[in-house]
Amino acid sequence: MKTIYLLVVLAPLLGAAVAGLAGHFIGRSNAARIAVAAVAVSALGSLWVLYQHVWGGAPVFDETLYQWAQVGGLSLEVGFLIDRLTALMMVVVTSVSLAVHVYTIGYMHDDAGYQRFFSYINLFTFAMLMLVMANNFLQLFFGWEAVGLVSYLLIGFYYRKESAIFANLKAFLVNRVGDFGFLLGIAAVLMYYGSLDYGEVFAAATLRPDMSLSIFGTEALVATVAGVLLFIGAMGKSAQVPLHVWLPDSMEGPTPISALIHAATMVTAGIFLVARMSPIFELSDAALSVVLVLGAVTALFMGLVGLVQNDIKRVIAYSTLSQLGYMFVALGASAYAAGVFHLMTHAFFKALLFLGAGAVIVALHHEQDMRRMGNLRRYLPMTHITMLLGTLALVGTPFFSGYYSKDVIIEAVHAADRFGAGFAYWAVLLGVFITALYSFRLYFMVFWGEERIDPHAKAHMSHLPGYVLPVMQWPLVALAVPSVVIGYFTIEPMLFGGFFDGAIHVLSGNDVLAKKGETFHGPLAFGLHAAVNPAFWLAVAGAVVAWFFYIARPDLRPALTRPMAPLIGVLERKYGFDELYRNGFAGGGRQLGALFWRGGDQAIIDGVIVNGTARTIGRLAQGLRGVQSGYLYHYAFAMIIGLLLLLTVFVGRWQGWF
Amino acid sequence: MPFEMPQFALAAPEIWLGVMLCVVLIADLFDRGGESLLAFYLTQATLVGAMALAIHTHWGGDAVITFNGMYISDSLAAVLKVAIAGLTIITLGYGRDYLRDRDLLKGEIYLLVLTATLGMFVMASASSLLVLYMGLELLSLSLYAMVAFDRDSRIGAEAAMKYFILGALSSGMLLYGMSMIYGAAGSLLIDDIAAAALAGDNLLLAFGMTFALVGIAFKFGAAPFHMWVPDVYQGAPTAVTAFLGTAPKVAALALFLRLMVDGLGDLHAQWQVMGIILAAGSLVVGNLFALVQTSFKRMLAYSTVSHIGFLFLGLVAGSDEGYAAALFYAISYGIMAAGAFGMIMLLSRRGFEADMIDDLSGLNDRHGGYALVMLLLMFSMTGIPGTVGFYAKWLVLSALVEAGLIWLAVLAVVFAVIGAFYYLRVLKAVYFDRVDSPQPVEATSGQQVLMWANGGAVLLLGLFPDTLIATCRAVFGLG
Amino acid sequence: MLSLLVWLPVLGGIGVLVAGRDDAARARWFALGVAALVFGLAVGLWVAFEAGVAGMQFVEQADWISAFGIQYYLGVDGISMPLVVLTAFATLLVVVAAWEVVQYKPAQYLAAFLIMEGIMIGVFSALDAILFYVFFEAMLIPMFLIIGIWGGPNRIYATLKFFLYTFLGSVMMLIALIYLRTEAGSFAIQDFYGLQLPLATQMVLFLAFLAAFAVKVPMFPVHTWLPDAHVEAPTGGSVILAAITLKIGGYGFLRFSLPIAPEASMALDWLLIGLSLIAVVYIGLVAMVQADLKKLIAYSSIAHMGFVTLGFFLIFRILAGSGSRDGALLALEGGMVQMISHGFVSAAMFLCVGVLYDRMHSRRIADYGGVASKMPVFAGFFVLFAMANAGLPGTSGFVGEFMIVLASFQAGFWYAAIAALTLILGAAYSLWMIKRVVYGEVDNENVDALTDVTPRERLLLGTLAVVIIAVGVYPAPLVEVMEPSLDALFRIVVPTF
Repeated sequence: MKTIYLLVVLAPLLGAAVAGLAGHFIGRSNAARIAVAAVAVSALGSLWVLYQHVWGGAPVFDETLYQWAQVGGLSLEVGFLIDRLTALMMVVVTSVSLAVHVYTIGYMHDDAGYQRFFSYINLFTFAMLMLVMANNFLQLFFGWEAVGLVSYLLIGFYYRKESAIFANLKAFLVNRVGDFGFLLGIAAVLMYYGSLDYGEVFAAATLRPDMSLSIFGTEALVATVAGVLLFIGAMGKSAQVPLHVWLPDSMEGPTPISALIHAATMVTAGIFLVARMSPIFELSDAALSVVLVLGAVTALFMGLVGLVQNDIKRVIAYSTLSQLGYMFVALGASAYAAGVFHLMTHAFFKALLFLGAGAVIVALHHEQDMRRMGNLRRYLPMTHITMLLGTLALVGTPFFSGYYSKDVIIEAVHAADRFGAGFAYWAVLLGVFITALYSFRLYFMVFWGEERIDPHAKAHMSHLPGYVLPVMQWPLVALAVPSVVIGYFTIEPMLFGGFFDGAIHVLSGNDVLAKKGETFHGPLAFGLHAAVNPAFWLAVAGAVVAWFFYIARPDLRPALTRPMAPLIGVLERKYGFDELYRNGFAGGGRQLGALFWRGGDQAIIDGVIVNGTARTIGRLAQGLRGVQSGYLYHYAFAMIIGLLLLLTVFVGRWQGWF
Repeated sequence: MPFEMPQFALAAPEIWLGVMLCVVLIADLFDRGGESLLAFYLTQATLVGAMALAIHTHWGGDAVITFNGMYISDSLAAVLKVAIAGLTIITLGYGRDYLRDRDLLKGEIYLLVLTATLGMFVMASASSLLVLYMGLELLSLSLYAMVAFDRDSRIGAEAAMKYFILGALSSGMLLYGMSMIYGAAGSLLIDDIAAAALAGDNLLLAFGMTFALVGIAFKFGAAPFHMWVPDVYQGAPTAVTAFLGTAPKVAALALFLRLMVDGLGDLHAQWQVMGIILAAGSLVVGNLFALVQTSFKRMLAYSTVSHIGFLFLGLVAGSDEGYAAALFYAISYGIMAAGAFGMIMLLSRRGFEADMIDDLSGLNDRHGGYALVMLLLMFSMTGIPGTVGFYAKWLVLSALVEAGLIWLAVLAVVFAVIGAFYYLRVLKAVYFDRVDSPQPVEATSGQQVLMWANGGAVLLLGLFPDTLIATCRAVFGLG
Repeated sequence: MLSLLVWLPVLGGIGVLVAGRDDAARARWFALGVAALVFGLAVGLWVAFEAGVAGMQFVEQADWISAFGIQYYLGVDGISMPLVVLTAFATLLVVVAAWEVVQYKPAQYLAAFLIMEGIMIGVFSALDAILFYVFFEAMLIPMFLIIGIWGGPNRIYATLKFFLYTFLGSVMMLIALIYLRTEAGSFAIQDFYGLQLPLATQMVLFLAFLAAFAVKVPMFPVHTWLPDAHVEAPTGGSVILAAITLKIGGYGFLRFSLPIAPEASMALDWLLIGLSLIAVVYIGLVAMVQADLKKLIAYSSIAHMGFVTLGFFLIFRILAGSGSRDGALLALEGGMVQMISHGFVSAAMFLCVGVLYDRMHSRRIADYGGVASKMPVFAGFFVLFAMANAGLPGTSGFVGEFMIVLASFQAGFWYAAIAALTLILGAAYSLWMIKRVVYGEVDNENVDALTDVTPRERLLLGTLAVVIIAVGVYPAPLVEVMEPSLDALFRIVVPTF
């Protein structure tokens, strides 16, 4: 088994190395082949691993690969922990990654950085796998930052574009803010649980659940402090308010990576983290409440921003933000399984939506503004169908995968009785309406209504065979299937079948899913149950409103928006987070630095102390110079003074002055 | 007192010098070469012989006092005399071509050098105030004459005048002090004086000692009795300056050791504070004034003052370690100074005096080797390890620390750092300033050899100082 | 063996002076041969070094200045061994880097570096205080010349500042050493340990050593010589300065301050910790606003060295906070690893700047932009090194910072919180610099004329990249070597644990 795990991890790394270092020698197509093959191997391996762990009865694998460093009694290691949670993540990561790889062959077809791109996404797959397969915090942090690095490189892939290199710097720095907390969290874990190995940490945590420390002058549970600190890291990676600002900008990167990194996998690392750390989080209601509330805030308010976006990718990006919020709400309600479940379904349909959007964008010659689209179903039938399916899954149409995952979250948080649960419930409920609204707004603006394509883009479309390369079509189809059906087949085992036993740890008191499980009578019934479910009708309402204002009566739109102008203004400024950060932190830091430099280093230390001393001595010397007049009697006089000086000493001694 | 036949053999070095002095005088009369080659080589030979004799007669064994207690022969005398003669040899070697280029190459110069040396030898072995004073005056008078050797040079004459008058003043004070001491001790012999000093605090003795110290300080050129130093250094022909700046310092040390240590060592408590004042004053004045000099010779003059300050610190420590340190300092300083003045002479040409710091600009482009030697000399004066100068300072510092005068040590190093600045300025000229058309250095083989030897000595003594240190300590009976 | 490492480069340097007087090519090959040979020997030493042993190895002892019992006394332990190898490695890099770049008096240039190498190895392997001091000071001479002769327009000010700063610091130490002899009766460094001096005395000694080493490290507020020196120094000078000489300060703290004045170190740790944290934050912010590439990297060096001193002097608070011996060790070893890693990373950064400078003759960030389009390979290296500078996991830059932050949390939340700010600041100044230099549209015709790295540069940067990643992925061998010695040191400093 170990060899397979290693194969899964190392294949992409190898691919990355070959495509990256030898890319120029082996040529474009070869580089692509190698990269895709590497990920394919790793995907098949992952499937095999998952199969073994679910049906093959493979034991949980928790082994050290090698010792990174040994300090006193503390051993820092690199190793794998493979249980069902990990296996599931591996499959999600590698399968989406594979689809994106294939899609890339077409999407990046005539880009100069072809090999570079493949090398990057291979590297990303490796890093992400290291992250999910880690059995200790050191490796987790490695993967954590490595995916951040690749994200940085890929957002800035078009490094000539000013906006792109601004976005990638921003993304990295905001993530570093998260990592700041994350690293402190790890430090706290090491200090109080005495190890970095998951197993030992969790054991220690459950052994002494009420260990506390004093911080900010108050006593707090260690679990709370560690949990919150770790969650700050999760907020950075999974772009939760207030560290969400980087994700929309990250859309500057090529679309395939928006699908892979900024929708399906990397941004869900935070969810995985919290789920993985469930034994710690379970010990602290406070920490979970933080997760719950922030998740709910993100879910609702980021969805709202999605309503006013016109860039097709940004709409989906904000939708991603809000969906991630849903997942955190689930985690915060101790329904970890539900969070991971939504993570999985979301990975598929969101990747699908992004790739679809990518297809549209390519077809329109890199046009991303929905106001210059419309009625595209005529030109891109396949894309249209698949994106429709994706949209339906996203808004939570009964029997679609999204329906199951999202509905469970809503009901779970409804059942939860944690601080903030009430607010969270209404937030996610309202979120359903918002989701449907912006999703269908996008759908209608792009595929229906009158055609608003600018002619030059149109000219470009026509000489594209079938408008979209087949190699970009198949991944859409491949992703559409699970987007539709996977929820139906997996909800029962994953949520109520004890699928994550041993991997995810929930205190019986908090186990809302178990309560839910008592009333669960199979996916079919769950689907039909939608009829009496407010969430479903809210989704329908959202769809209808979108249809009414964008298809039926577009002319009424101004009547709707005018009274809400101030609100829309706030949304368009995204609540002003960007300004705050740019001027407040970035600008402030730079001003502070300039102050320290000019004021501290140059003025005080160098100016006054260092050069000042030199200057004083120099002046003194210049002044004294006059004494050496060259006149003989001056000299003689000096000697007399000297003599008197010595005589004074002589007298002083005899007088006993000293 | 009963008169017994003195052991003339013990005075062999002085006798040899005296005899050879006449020989040189006569030989030079018959030398028609014009460049007094004969006199030159004879003088050098004489000095070498004097060194040999000094080692042979004085080194090792116990101190022997003869000539009715007026002449002492001990290892200290040996070391002092070897140092004096050796430094004289080096400076003469540098000076010859320099003097020739300026038509100053007359036999008299050698005679004066020899008389001066004789005076210094006498001081080194003096065991009586009278002898001490005689040697001192012999030295001083020769020096006055040498400073004025370039008759046509106005500043030379002026310098000589200042030197002479101030020297007379200081000699007067010294003599006055000596008479006081005589009055107190009732004898001119150092031993009797020591006995008197041992007897207890003697007001008169201490009073005289104060005046004597002034005279000594003047010979050293310690502040505030240093005013003559820069003018004389600058005014005198560089060859003379080189001589003036090296061997006589050792002689001055001899003066101090014989009078203040052998004689008045037990009044240490009395003169320590005075010594501290002189030392601190010299450090401050020397370093600060040197900072603002543009003339290399004047800068070296002030740096001498600061080095004297350091040397005095060793003396005020008042321990044998301290005296040994001072001795080592005087010798190593002599070597460095000789090199520095030698460099000036080496770079000077007929009608051109390379005595400004700017004249050293681009030396590295002109001749890497001399630049390297200059580097060694300057860093040695700064006190950077790897050169002899470091151990000179280090010995003084450890003497101070062991004497519990840590604050003085701190003061000393602080001024050492300030001093570093002007030595670095020289190196900056040598290495960092680029000249457009570096013309090669022309120097006679003799000077070249000497220069390399000089630099090599600074470096070798910097790497393996053990022998010299051991010697200087052995003189004071230290292991 | 050690003597060979010390004197071979020195003699080799003289050889270069003689051999390459008027034949640059011969000078280069000669120097390369010497540097390579020395590096080979150093590696051999590393191999022969017994990792498990705490004591000194390859000891050589001979009388030097008998009157004071000063000995020619050499030896290495786990603390100095890596630094010796690092020195040899860095010098080799410098020789290669100088290849056709240095045209003015190449023989003297290479000779200066070889002699410097010998002296620095001497510093790391000297076990006699005076011998140490001799090397410690002698080091000033070649560096003085390197910056002064081959430096930039403002080199005079920079050299004098550098020299006087360091000189003033070290003379204080000299007095301390002389005093210690009167206490210990010998100049052997180990005899200074465990003297049980009264606290007041220790304080004075500690401050004297601080004066010497704080300047070298350099710590705030005596750091201002470094940016000037770096800016003016030639590439090689910057590399040696950043990679080795700064480490001598940290090494000094481990060899002298901590073991000789443990109580004082404990009593004054607030000062050292405070200055270190200031270095991390204050200097980090200052680095961000630099307009000059070298100044920026110089300031980032100061910030990184702040981590070193932080790790060294946190141990007392860690023991007070968590009582965990491992925690304290983690801090110490983190500091050591950080020193080694910074040696590689800063060297790499300065070499990168050198590569750019050789082509554009400008260090102003504003003059660049869009370099990636013209020098893709170089850009790859530069980004990698910048990431290492920002402490990205998988690079050597991460290891030390990770250990120290983890350890500092045990001293108290705030220590860790402030220290961890480096995650943000480090990334900010490193990557913002990258953004302005490497990325973006081609900024001007000078950039447009740039050519990518030559095979020689590729070799240089490639080697460094491999080393940096290797240390980042598998630091165990490095840590193993230093652990026993640091453990022993720890026992001397806090015998109670």
